[in-house]
Amino acid sequence: MAPSVPLTERKIRLSKPAIVWILLLLPFALAMVAMTIGRYQISVLDTVKILLSPISPAYAGDIPEVAKRLVLQIRAPRILAALLIGASFGATGTAFQAIFKNPLVDSNILGVTTGAGFGAAIAILLRGTHWQIQISAFLFGLLAVSLSFFGSRLYKATPLLVLTLMGILVGSLFSSLTALLKYMADPLDSLPAITFWLLGSLTNITWRSLPVLAAIALTGLVFFWFLGWRFNIISLGDEEAKSLGINPVHMKMMIIFAATLMTAAAVSISGVIGWVGLVIPHAGRMMVGPDHKRLIPATIGLGAAFLLLIDLIARALLPGEIPLGVLTGLVGVPLLMGLLRKNRTGW
Amino acid sequence: MKNNPLRIATVIILISLFLIGCTSTPQGDQTQLIETDNDAISVVEEVLEEDVSNSDIDIEIPRFTIKADVNLQGELSALYSAYFDGELPVFIMDDPDLLVTAAPEIAAERPVVYPTFLPDTILIPQIDNEDIDNFIQFAISPDGQQVLIEIGALPEILVITDQAGRQLEIHQPIRQVLSAYGPATAVIYSVNGWDRLVAASYLGARDPQGAEAMERIDPRFPELVGDDLFSQQEFDLEEAAALEPNLIIGASRSSWIESVEQLGVPVFLVEAETAQQLRETALLIGELFGPHSYAQAQAWVNYFDWVIDTIQKQWSENPMEPKPQVLFSGTEPLRVASGDMYQTEIIESAGGISVSAELSGYWNDVNLEQVVIWDPELIIIPPYGGAKVETITESQEWQIIDSVAFGQVFRMPKLVAPWDTPAPDSVLGIVWLAELLHPEIVELTCASETNFFYNTFYNYAISGDEIGAICTLN
Repeated sequence: MAPSVPLTERKIRLSKPAIVWILLLLPFALAMVAMTIGRYQISVLDTVKILLSPISPAYAGDIPEVAKRLVLQIRAPRILAALLIGASFGATGTAFQAIFKNPLVDSNILGVTTGAGFGAAIAILLRGTHWQIQISAFLFGLLAVSLSFFGSRLYKATPLLVLTLMGILVGSLFSSLTALLKYMADPLDSLPAITFWLLGSLTNITWRSLPVLAAIALTGLVFFWFLGWRFNIISLGDEEAKSLGINPVHMKMMIIFAATLMTAAAVSISGVIGWVGLVIPHAGRMMVGPDHKRLIPATIGLGAAFLLLIDLIARALLPGEIPLGVLTGLVGVPLLMGLLRKNRTGW
Repeated sequence: MKNNPLRIATVIILISLFLIGCTSTPQGDQTQLIETDNDAISVVEEVLEEDVSNSDIDIEIPRFTIKADVNLQGELSALYSAYFDGELPVFIMDDPDLLVTAAPEIAAERPVVYPTFLPDTILIPQIDNEDIDNFIQFAISPDGQQVLIEIGALPEILVITDQAGRQLEIHQPIRQVLSAYGPATAVIYSVNGWDRLVAASYLGARDPQGAEAMERIDPRFPELVGDDLFSQQEFDLEEAAALEPNLIIGASRSSWIESVEQLGVPVFLVEAETAQQLRETALLIGELFGPHSYAQAQAWVNYFDWVIDTIQKQWSENPMEPKPQVLFSGTEPLRVASGDMYQTEIIESAGGISVSAELSGYWNDVNLEQVVIWDPELIIIPPYGGAKVETITESQEWQIIDSVAFGQVFRMPKLVAPWDTPAPDSVLGIVWLAELLHPEIVELTCASETNFFYNTFYNYAISGDEIGAICTLN
């Protein structure tokens, strides 16, 4: 099991459970750092004081009101959203790769993100409010997955393959529809809004965005973590699962349902952030191996940390926001290549 | 083309009325004097005096008399006989009904545009007379241009370089124009070329108020196909061919240029992204449409410069007056205008500083933290794309910005074309913002300039109610 890395790179050897715990704590540590970083300069000490001020206002008595509001009203909800959304993408990507037994699928395999993109685009075109856009994205995400899922029931053959195919079909249907909406959109206002949404952003996060996202994401994450070893069995195949006392069909339906809700809740707030759900599971496997008991928590931690890092760059580097969809690749690919070089493991 | 039957009918009626008048009323005393002035010009002067009742010379009563320099009489005779079916004009030296003279230098301060039928040559009616008004309208119309081209007074082919740097040879006069670019359409309206449009893409005429106002300005607006078929991105070739335009005007960044050129119709490209480019656009489009439109374009440019200079002067006479920091937010509150955009020029011309001038490109997405750093004293939102003042003022998060907490968020007004876009109307955006930023020192007011602008350039008698609705802050 030990990776066959050259001796020179084996400086620190950590046990896999330890790595899992580090990966799970990493996003919290990063979140603390991210709280202190932004376009507006607030010192680390002041940030800590501000964060303690809800407990006792005396801690932040001498700090300007603007700084307090920035940290508590603007940065805090955005950082929490990044953590939840990143964790959701990481875990759902891992879950989908397990049930489809395919390392090249991600959360969007059944069209949830594409459907949500269409939902958001149509709401933007109809001049919907912020909330209407989110709700429309969420509902169309669910609709897309329902179409893929029930569509695959029409055809009696190897269900997994048909489901994958239906996912691809539904996905391309919705991307065509989105392209049509973009074509119809007013180039002065709705078109840039749609484009920006499709590239993903956490700019508009407020505390009001969080309760629904947190409820869905946390429930789903706990559920996946609890499933843990069952993913291993499911990824072996239906026959093996049955012989081990698990109903693979029910289990897969539950996982797909949970993952769809989580992804839809995440993208309806963040816009389309592809990639994370595809790559984070691979990064996780390189670090903790293919056992889902460890992989699920590892990808939760990695996903959260990665999206937080990306969003930090997006909001703090330049006066203008950089779309997340631009940064995931720019930052993620070098990171992943570095990991590949370090751990030449198979998965 | 539509007007022709009506016009011919009017002319026939007028002629028959005239003939009836001639035959039924007793002939007045008409003396024909032949004078020779210093330049040895023979001028026919006729005197119509009621008390002189006996006449021995029997000639027709002219419709009206004209005073013109001798070297313009050929052109005027051609126009006159073309419009009045072969009749000849009567030129006199003193007390004419219609004065033809060299154009005075166009005043900058709220310029008056006289009917200009040849470059720098204007027609000024001295009495109130329908024939004269019709004649003037004819003289500056494409039909009048056609007459002047035939006698060589105006060029048949206009060689002109468009704003994409392409040299074009354009047959004059232009009768049917297709404008596939909103700012160009606004320019065409403000240089009196609107009745030659066969299809046009508009700025700000999609929302109900904009469409209603546009219909008041131009009753043909509902029938003019445009916005959906012709824009920077799209161009319906079949539809365009059916409209038989003899000039197509589009944006230099249009995606369709090469294919549209296959229609064999000249494609004139404009680029109006900055104030300087907009000035050029106005003058070029004016030139395309003929002497009168050119004079009107020149008047607009002078007026635009005068507004900017006046604000600048009044501002600089008050050294203590600060330059407020302004944020121009877009269709989304966190989408802001970059330094390259026209909105930044408007803010600077109005005596403010654009906080987001450091950004480049088009609209930029920013976060609230960045807005906190900019700390604008004033936030302006545009009159399109569903932007609402309340979206910002009622947002809990935006209360972090002092100007929001103090209600310093305002929506840029518009009648049809938004005042923050590169259209002639944007001169009013500068006035409006200057009045808002420096109410104590800037003497121009939104109300007076709006009244002047739409009456002068759009030939639209804007009502007091409309002005009130436009110029009242939010």
